[in-house]
Amino acid sequence: MSLPILVVDDSAMARKMLIKSLPPDWDVEISQAENGVQAIEAYRAGKAAVMFLDLTMPVLDGFGVLEALRKEDLNSMVIVVSADIQPVAQERVMSMGAIAFVKKPVSSELISNVLKQYGVI
Amino acid sequence: MSLTALSNDQRDALQELTNIAMGQAGASLATLLDEFVDLSVPRIRVVEVVDLPPVLADLVGKTNLVSAVRQSFQGYLRGEAIIIFGEPGCQALADLMGFEGELGESGENELLLDVANVLSGACLGGMMEQIRNFTETNGPAELSFSMPLVMARQVMAEQLIDPQKVQWSHALLLEVNFTIKNRDFIAHLTMLMPEDGIEKIRGIIDEFIAAF
Repeated sequence: MSLPILVVDDSAMARKMLIKSLPPDWDVEISQAENGVQAIEAYRAGKAAVMFLDLTMPVLDGFGVLEALRKEDLNSMVIVVSADIQPVAQERVMSMGAIAFVKKPVSSELISNVLKQYGVI
Repeated sequence: MSLTALSNDQRDALQELTNIAMGQAGASLATLLDEFVDLSVPRIRVVEVVDLPPVLADLVGKTNLVSAVRQSFQGYLRGEAIIIFGEPGCQALADLMGFEGELGESGENELLLDVANVLSGACLGGMMEQIRNFTETNGPAELSFSMPLVMARQVMAEQLIDPQKVQWSHALLLEVNFTIKNRDFIAHLTMLMPEDGIEKIRGIIDEFIAAF
């Protein structure tokens, strides 16, 4: 069965870049969300075994998503994908339950390294 | 379609390009001030120059007093970077930079210039890096900057730019802002590019979109 993954970013361009960077032979079913609220809905619908999460978004940002997920016992591997490269931002998301932080712009190498590291592929 | 408008795809792609660039600027500011900096979602507009005062006021807040630094850039892209600091964040700046006691106006101006320089340099540098990475630029994609100047202290945002003194008819306006929540600090980095620059940016963006 395909693995449900969720790509969360307010930018369609950013989602496209991320999806293009996923391993081509990875058997996944991809859903997309434009903001944190949509992300939480998709997560509740079981569409996010793995979640690629942007931080800077309108409505509800990535920090807000992590906080909400933590309250519903985080059943998703969250990989934060952000242009916000402050060390404090990285520490904060990791302490909030994200498994990894990938800096934008993404590349297939960066993404597959993280996925391999966590045995997802 | 108007000559200067951007399509939704172009706007979205430019927003992402700006977002990546501002991340580097935010990290530089965070290092400089040793504080966590919140980054905004970039805002992009194509405006007639006559409308700039109300548009800026709208971006920055109509009733807020601001101070601003301007710096022009040229080379691969041409335009003006205007860094608008909300009061009372200006006062917080001296404290954040570790100065004690009264700095006086020239000392404060110097701080504004330093911070503005870091923001515009990192952000435009970041943009140029993306442009070099994702497009086939002809020749070296470099920018040069003028000396930054304090253009206003404690004025309303509406008074920052006098459209009569601007040679352009239209401008592409990019705005991102950096806030430090518990310090009341906010800096808006706005970049203005004239109409011929809009065409160039449109070409760059189309290449960026085509790369994915």
